[in-house]
Amino acid sequence: MTLTIVRIYHDLLGTYGDQGNAEVLCHRARARGIEVELVEVTPGEPIPRSADIYLLGGGEDGPQLAALEMLRTDGGLKYAAAGGATVFAVCAGFQIIGESLPGSGGETISGLGLVDAHTHYPKSKRSVGELVIAPTRGGLPILTGFENHQGFTKLGSEMPALGRTLSGVGNGFYATEGVWHGNVIGTYLHGPALARNPELADSVLQCAAGPIAKFDDEFATAFAQERRQTLWSHEKTHPIVLGVGFSRGRASGLQFP
Amino acid sequence: MTSSLRLKIACALGNTAGSLSRHLNRGRGETLAGRVILAIYPNAISELTKNRDVVLISGTNGKTTSTSNLVGILTKFAGEGVSTSRSGANMPAGIVTALAQEPRHRLAAIECDEMYLPSMYRAISPSVVVLLNLSRDQLHRTGEVRKIAQLWQETFTKDDVTLVIDRDDPFVEYAASQAGHVIRVSFGGRRHSDGATCPQCSKILDWSTGNYACSCGLGSKLADVRSDKKLNGPERNTVLVTEAARLMGAEISAADAQELLDNSPDRVSQFDVDGRMISTHLAKNPESWREALAGISAQQVILSVNARGIDGRDTSWLWDIDFASLQGKKVVCTGERRLDVAYRIKVQDCDVVVAADIAQALTYFPTGVVQAIASYTAFQDLAARELGIIKVQGGQK
Repeated sequence: MTLTIVRIYHDLLGTYGDQGNAEVLCHRARARGIEVELVEVTPGEPIPRSADIYLLGGGEDGPQLAALEMLRTDGGLKYAAAGGATVFAVCAGFQIIGESLPGSGGETISGLGLVDAHTHYPKSKRSVGELVIAPTRGGLPILTGFENHQGFTKLGSEMPALGRTLSGVGNGFYATEGVWHGNVIGTYLHGPALARNPELADSVLQCAAGPIAKFDDEFATAFAQERRQTLWSHEKTHPIVLGVGFSRGRASGLQFP
Repeated sequence: MTSSLRLKIACALGNTAGSLSRHLNRGRGETLAGRVILAIYPNAISELTKNRDVVLISGTNGKTTSTSNLVGILTKFAGEGVSTSRSGANMPAGIVTALAQEPRHRLAAIECDEMYLPSMYRAISPSVVVLLNLSRDQLHRTGEVRKIAQLWQETFTKDDVTLVIDRDDPFVEYAASQAGHVIRVSFGGRRHSDGATCPQCSKILDWSTGNYACSCGLGSKLADVRSDKKLNGPERNTVLVTEAARLMGAEISAADAQELLDNSPDRVSQFDVDGRMISTHLAKNPESWREALAGISAQQVILSVNARGIDGRDTSWLWDIDFASLQGKKVVCTGERRLDVAYRIKVQDCDVVVAADIAQALTYFPTGVVQAIASYTAFQDLAARELGIIKVQGGQK
């Protein structure tokens, strides 16, 4: 099979290195013998409607709104997502795929509406720093990344978060971080997220390609573990607590020391 | 107490605190000295620059090199002493220390951090401000590139200063768009990696001509100085500071300017380690890493990355850089964030190993030519702590 990965407007949504997510997905897919085609879509070009994975990254406020307007007019991403395509969106990209977000004058404008998420700009200062989350889905270890955003994102009651914030801000509401609804994942994790969290990269691949073979990449694993251990030493000392959390499928009931 | 006496006391106490800190091996003591001075005399920077002709130099890349270059040019061609901050200290505490320690020459060339440029401009009332370039750097601190451009644009709204700018950089052009006096230098245009949208109106910039254009009019003002030869970053900065020196009264002929350009200082330092010459390029953000990578010709390469404050605490910018030019070479990654950079280049199919520190990294390369690229604090570590070696040549070519 050939997996088609679309990197959307990386000129506009690539300020924080998230374009690396595409490279990681390609690398990990090819390592398993899956053929990959990476499609770069630049502003003004149409978004392919039948690709497997769509990637959006973080960007500055002005470029974010420019990207949103083009995506809205084009319609391709929404069409593909409605058909079950996988979407992985970071930071500004996460805000874009929600229901609403602040416009250039601070007014509320509508997003693409792929997930029920509403972004506001709180008066508090920008959320900047390392972010550590406990994923809500089984099988995934602690995820780490670097967040750098002004917005807070409130999920609708039916929307499962990607994880629960252990350290850092994340969505800014009820210790939630990101969203994982169907095949659509949104997050505030930069790093890039899929470089720092190979297991999450594989989850994205599985959304699009189904079950995939195990693949150990020495550097990827060492990198992910180094970050995890530096930022969240509790993982080593309290593995049972985390295990319970995963098996219940919800992180919100967890109590961490 | 008269204010001049108070200033003298502030400077004396600051210098004492600084040298105490130095003797206790707590670093160079500049920041502490500056904090003491500013605590006792908050207007010290204004006071110390009164009745002096000051050039402020700011931008993402090349501030320190350009400032020392300008000092050299002014000393030679204006025939006067120049006060400056020699160490690269570019925030208020460092700037005030430099001003307090240096002899009070009429001329001063001062490097300024991008975020502090507005407050230093107001405190100093410089004659000339050189705006070198703006690109993504330390985003954990600055948030967005265009926020700095906007901060500058809101600062330079009068005609009490002359700006010397690289107008090919849309962020710098936007920063100068409200200023009264601007010397616009153009190098024939070049694509800016952060310049997809207009810093002024957020519309998509048109780069089809190799230069930017926007319906809002950004970039439509003509250049005052043109250089059509393709120049690298250090060379462009030399042209800008040469123009600044001219504004300060230096008489520089076209032949002299060409000679200055041909000898543009770059950020490569050479270290002699057990008979091996290791040339090390200081680079701290995507743009300066791209410049540095373009200069890599050796087969043995060391990449050293830290993520302390000044380096940028977020390392994801490593993925903004194309490392394909390192394919086929032997690469050793070191520094506190060696795994970040090692995995990044592994994904681009480079032959890479990691080493705990620079000394271990060098064991992979017992002979031959080694080129290194190091982020800011990793560079300092290389120069000072890890090896304790003598810098044989640096800063100036």
